[in-house]
Amino acid sequence: MKFRGKIIDVACLNHFTRVVTTISKLTKTCVLRLTPDNLFFILSGKVTNGGVSMWCELLQNNFFDEYQMEGVSSEFNQICLEVSPENLSRALRTVQCAKSVKIKLTKKHCACLTVAAELPTLSSASRVVTHDVPVEVIPRRLWQEFKEPVMPDFDVSIYLPPLKMLKNVVDRMKNLSNFLVIEANMNGEMNLKIQTDLVSVSTHFKDLGNPPWGEDASQDGGPSQRGDPELLAEATVDIRKLQQFLVGQQVNPSKAMCNIVHQNVVHLILLHEDVSLQYFIPAVA
Amino acid sequence: MNCVIEGNCVKAFGKAIHALSRIGDELWLDPMVKGLALRSVNSSHSAYGCFLFSPLFFQEYNFGSASKHGKETIKCKLLMKSVLPLFRCLTSIERSVERCRISVSTATDRVVIQFFCRHGIIKTHNMHFQESEALQAVFASHLCPNVLRAPARLLADMVMHFPPFQEEITLSITAMKVTLRNYQEGGKGHMKTLCTEMSLHPDEFDYFQIGLDSDITFCLKELRGILSFAEYHSLPVSIYLGAAGKPVCFSVDDMVLEGTVLLATLMDSESNDHSQPTEPRSPTTPRGVNSSAQAVDAFEGPSSMHHDIPAEMVTSSQGSPVINSPNRMHQNMWPACLSLPGSTCTSANTSPASTKICSLLFKAVSSKQDDGACAAQPPVLACYSDEENTDDNQPGSPSL
Repeated sequence: MKFRGKIIDVACLNHFTRVVTTISKLTKTCVLRLTPDNLFFILSGKVTNGGVSMWCELLQNNFFDEYQMEGVSSEFNQICLEVSPENLSRALRTVQCAKSVKIKLTKKHCACLTVAAELPTLSSASRVVTHDVPVEVIPRRLWQEFKEPVMPDFDVSIYLPPLKMLKNVVDRMKNLSNFLVIEANMNGEMNLKIQTDLVSVSTHFKDLGNPPWGEDASQDGGPSQRGDPELLAEATVDIRKLQQFLVGQQVNPSKAMCNIVHQNVVHLILLHEDVSLQYFIPAVA
Repeated sequence: MNCVIEGNCVKAFGKAIHALSRIGDELWLDPMVKGLALRSVNSSHSAYGCFLFSPLFFQEYNFGSASKHGKETIKCKLLMKSVLPLFRCLTSIERSVERCRISVSTATDRVVIQFFCRHGIIKTHNMHFQESEALQAVFASHLCPNVLRAPARLLADMVMHFPPFQEEITLSITAMKVTLRNYQEGGKGHMKTLCTEMSLHPDEFDYFQIGLDSDITFCLKELRGILSFAEYHSLPVSIYLGAAGKPVCFSVDDMVLEGTVLLATLMDSESNDHSQPTEPRSPTTPRGVNSSAQAVDAFEGPSSMHHDIPAEMVTSSQGSPVINSPNRMHQNMWPACLSLPGSTCTSANTSPASTKICSLLFKAVSSKQDDGACAAQPPVLACYSDEENTDDNQPGSPSL
């Protein structure tokens, strides 16, 4: 197994660091899957993380100037590593001014992703700073846990309001209740509601727009899609999970969408130019 | 003693207090003929900081109490948490304070700090102090085999790569390069942590003298204070180091002030000779102790100090100060017996208890304590106070 990537462009380094930092705010550990064309940060939904799952896909070409990998075998040309994104993010954040950054899979006291940055100095020799991020190689037999999630058979698909606005609302609602109801319809309307013994608060968004695939899916005869765009699908989620997702977002995505499977799961999709992030929050009973 | 600091310099004075606050919880104010010294030491006596402001730094500097002749100079010990808040917001001090007067009144056992601010506002702060012997460390920097001098910017850039919670780092020096890496104790913990390493070429230093290849491990946290002071004043930092176990000295100086931080370093463990010397794991071995004893001999005679370092004199010392520290870092033995002329660290017992350290400043004498027994402070035979302080009312009681 070998992996060696090099980033030279400062903007790419910056962007990559921001992606890793966003991931680090979502989860303490995740799986990094390397293929010849892509990098994936994956969190598979388990009871331990409250059923939340995440899938983040990056096109390696958009970040790395050099990228070489050799997977476990030629038939399975992939590498799966369990890593703490916080460590990786910390390693990358300190080297933002580097002339070049190499990331390689190495073996030191354990398997590591070594981030080696060449920093500019006043003298002729350039300074090399290395950060060894410990990782654990995931054996092939466990790989099926980390497959790309299928798009759920959603009832409603809608564009999200600006994330900052959403975050502000959710932050304030979090003080009042632990559970939040997200409901939306195919008419571009979305409501966030909380209800406690003393108070109920709801925030209404209008004219959000619905992504085109919403209509396509409904032609498959999905339940209650046809004919009534006013019909609201809803899911009740743990508000802290939603907040955790929103807190980590540092850059406005080009597209932000939300799919809701009624009473089942909320599927958030953020698309940037070269990164896509999907986040699943299960509904609570 | 009383002195007046002019507006621009108050910020520098405050910065020095900030730097010392990274080291210890108490601040010693020590007026001397050659200037006002501010000192601090940490609870486990493995870090010591001193800033000496020469009389030229002050607008006025009156040393010695005006009233009595021949009275010994007062050495005051203040709680850092009383003093630090006065200088906490340096930008507002810079904007509004025109001058600052500090005076020590033995009659009332108070230190009075007055800020004369714009618009005629005068802020007066009174703090009780405890009279105590100044704590001083001796360090023969001229005997150090390795001496480096680097611009503060260089060191700050290096240190920036380590996370703020990183406790200890290891500095390795050879003729070819200087390497810094984070230090982790052995065990399961280190499997999950980020390991960072970087190297510096000798050319990057303003001055590079190497007499001995060595690896020293010391606490980074306590160093950051003086590095930030040096960076602010754009002063180069001089580093004096020797073999592992011997203390390392970081100092800055200017025409009117000198700052020094002495840090204990992790002792090499004899049993790990075959592996890298930078990972001492086992407890203090007899050899370790002997080498401390050697350290002791070497530092006798503080007289001919390196001109950069303020001549500091060892004050009395008794026996071997071995102090058990609850501090996690020091649980793994930091026997950096800096200096005890006349004492022998060999009486530090050679038991396998890995939590012994030798104190930097040898006024305290410890009792041997068991591992993990979280220190009740050992009885102090020498004369500085180390009881818990309430600043109220211990007028002039010589501690113990």
